[in-house]
Amino acid sequence: MPHADVVVIGAGLSGLVAATRLAEAGASVTLVAKGHASTHWGSGGLDVAAPVGAGTPAEGVARLAAEDHPYAYLAPDVAPSVAWLLERLEASGLPYSGTLDTPIRRVPTAIGGTRRVAIVPAAQAAALRPWDHEELLVVAGIAGFKDFWPQAIADSLGRETVWGGSDRPSHVAGVAVELSGIAARNNLNALHLARRFDDPAQRSEDIGRFAAAVRKMAGSRPGRVAVPAVFGLGQHAEAWAELRERLPLEPFEVPLVPPSIPGIRLWRVLRERIRAAGGRVQVGEAVHAIRVEGGRVTAVEMEAATRTHVIRTDAVLLATGGLAGGGLIATPSGHIVEPLLNLHVDAPEHEAWFVTEALDPAGHPLEAAGIVTDADLRPLAHDGRPAALANVLVAGALLAGQRSIRERCGDGVAVASGWRAANALDAGATRTPVGRVPSAGRTDQ
Amino acid sequence: MTIADIVREASAELPVSASSDECLKCNVCNTVCPVMRVTDLFPGPKYSGPQVQRFRLAGFQQIQGPHSINPRSPDHSVDYCSGCGWCTTVCPAGVKIAEMNNQARGRLREGKIPKLRDWGLGQTDLVGTMGVLFSPIANFAFHNRVVRAAFELVLGVHRHAPFPRFARRTYQSTWKRRMAKRPDGGTTRTRPGPDKAVVYFHGCSVNYYEPHVAEAAIWVLKRNGFETIIPEQVCCGLPLISNGLYDDARERACKNGKVLAEYAKAGYRIVGTSTSCTHTLKAEYEEMLDMRDEDTKAVSHATWDICEFLLDLHEDGRLDTNFGTLDEDLPYHAPCQLRSHGIGLPALDLFALVPGLRAKDMDHDCCGIAGTYGMKKEKYPIAMKVGEPLFQKVRDSGASVASCDSETCRWQIESATGVRTRHPVEILAEAYRAADTAKGLASNPG
Repeated sequence: MPHADVVVIGAGLSGLVAATRLAEAGASVTLVAKGHASTHWGSGGLDVAAPVGAGTPAEGVARLAAEDHPYAYLAPDVAPSVAWLLERLEASGLPYSGTLDTPIRRVPTAIGGTRRVAIVPAAQAAALRPWDHEELLVVAGIAGFKDFWPQAIADSLGRETVWGGSDRPSHVAGVAVELSGIAARNNLNALHLARRFDDPAQRSEDIGRFAAAVRKMAGSRPGRVAVPAVFGLGQHAEAWAELRERLPLEPFEVPLVPPSIPGIRLWRVLRERIRAAGGRVQVGEAVHAIRVEGGRVTAVEMEAATRTHVIRTDAVLLATGGLAGGGLIATPSGHIVEPLLNLHVDAPEHEAWFVTEALDPAGHPLEAAGIVTDADLRPLAHDGRPAALANVLVAGALLAGQRSIRERCGDGVAVASGWRAANALDAGATRTPVGRVPSAGRTDQ
Repeated sequence: MTIADIVREASAELPVSASSDECLKCNVCNTVCPVMRVTDLFPGPKYSGPQVQRFRLAGFQQIQGPHSINPRSPDHSVDYCSGCGWCTTVCPAGVKIAEMNNQARGRLREGKIPKLRDWGLGQTDLVGTMGVLFSPIANFAFHNRVVRAAFELVLGVHRHAPFPRFARRTYQSTWKRRMAKRPDGGTTRTRPGPDKAVVYFHGCSVNYYEPHVAEAAIWVLKRNGFETIIPEQVCCGLPLISNGLYDDARERACKNGKVLAEYAKAGYRIVGTSTSCTHTLKAEYEEMLDMRDEDTKAVSHATWDICEFLLDLHEDGRLDTNFGTLDEDLPYHAPCQLRSHGIGLPALDLFALVPGLRAKDMDHDCCGIAGTYGMKKEKYPIAMKVGEPLFQKVRDSGASVASCDSETCRWQIESATGVRTRHPVEILAEAYRAADTAKGLASNPG
């Protein structure tokens, strides 16, 4: 059966970061996942920490580090890990904007609200600059595209309350740009459009129509343009450069409901980096058991047609996600379990699962459920002592103590914990020669 | 309730028809659907699968009561699903989307007389038998433009759809003749045990079109110390399943099960060179045809794809790795059916053992053909669009030979690119021959 120095379980941000770092460090790493994960759902930006009142991500991290939160031990790694990731993304042609010291600001969402961000893909960055009171915001959508309604978004963004007291554009206007052949389409998702913008000839025509519509709307007024995040997938850099060049105002992308194009761009870049460094990425192979012998994990077992597919390994990184990602499972009988290793889960009792205000600003009690670890990300047992597993680390949304919806800390925890776990695993990895060539690309998507 | 019970309760697998309840509507399946990528005729796996499943279940309950699993679709768009299975592969919630759609396609046709075309494409064994019997005429007809145009008009099989040449005789009869020539007449009395022999499931492609794949497989197996047993067998039934002809498929499955289970129970491994046949034996008899008997289970557990089998030998240190040098680029396409096996890409691991061979994963989702999908008149243009990026990569590689585990994919790639496309086991056989030639030995492929 095949062997890997490290098996990373989970294809979300923490797993991808860890696998990239391990592969680039020369470890043989195999990332397995039952399906696509948070990259395909998220905004593509990096939410590091934006608890209410924090002015920058660094302030947010400091504030959360003082609480019972993964940042209590991850805080020193957040800045270097985020910088490391952004460097790699930029080198792969997917530049980002912002650091931990960038002021957190409100940017428009696809339903005409705002959200608080600091580190975003470069294509979203123009939304972060403070609004001059002369400025116009043109929301330019695509007629017939049901995930982005420019007029409704514009109407909503025209209300002062949406901006939470921060500066805002003086006027917001919506326009639906007619693109050829779109009206006849029965179903159209962001991916269809993104691929359309990958085609140079089609892109040139479409961007021309965008430019004309915005010019008509804005005249000679200063301002910016909000567009749906569909400007290219494989050729995003080219598509975005062309849009910036030809629009009379500066554009920014607004991330949409899934499928998230900015997130898929992130996934594609990291997957390619892992593969280029000799790592393997195997999506669609759900781990259903982990073999433990003498207090050590020795292999992971994946579901396959009729027989189990086994990978022997020296270490496992559990990056399987929280309740939403399937790393934790809530049972009908009122338990929350970690199904692969049956690790101790820190979670509220069954009665506390049900609260009257699901969107209470204080958060939901289940949000913080997860695995408690020590500072080296080793899981702890119910008595607070290290679990009897020498070579398992935990990263990402599975870590207990995050209230990621309220604190907007999920990406920062994922990146810092994935990075720290990779460093620890690389230091401890035994490089066993296994007589298999890692450069042979492996099944994946 | 113990912790083990809780974990079991939490991870219990749902039946295909009920897995729609797990759908979060996250759209991840839509991001990978190769058909949706190129046409509007298919509304996508999310809609056709879990979304419509609720209507199917509801509609069914009104008509036939709450306990039947006989859902019908509200429209026919599910017919445009090619069955490649990518949606199931990437679903983070474990919804069996492709399987759900396949069942729905079957239900669409239930109680109706099947289209002659779908019936014909499903009966690969009948078409194959007739084709082989009249092979000079059949080969002329299947490769004649006028006849193919008539076929398209009358039958709805696209005139440009790839079609291989019929062999002169079935592989079954070739093998029987060969056995009869042996001193023991190939009788079971002298049959080697399960550690010295494997059962070969050749499938229809080998039986009617590609005997050379069988010869390569048998030779490579022999090189590694395994005799080959080829019992009587019929089509695995997958083309029937794909074309919604479940009853016919079940009949084939029973025939195969009866013969193969005897070997499986005696400890023999069943090895196949067609990834789609082996996947059918492994999983589809149970999952799609709802067969849960002892024989089916035994056959399922004993079945191996040939590359999976050879890699398993290698991992036990038993594979003959004295390959000769093949100094060439080899574009490789992993077929959709292989992904459903969940065994990674064993062919690439084997290629990595051959000195000089530069095998490269083309990293493309689907060649488009999806069994018989791309042969149909209305689906051929879709299939060609789906596969085009792959064809481009293969053409750009400049290689003279490409490789792919699945026969219909090979035909599709070869016909679209003009690049000869071979089964991985043929490449391995060539590498063994190269070793022999280097040593001045004559290779005997027989």
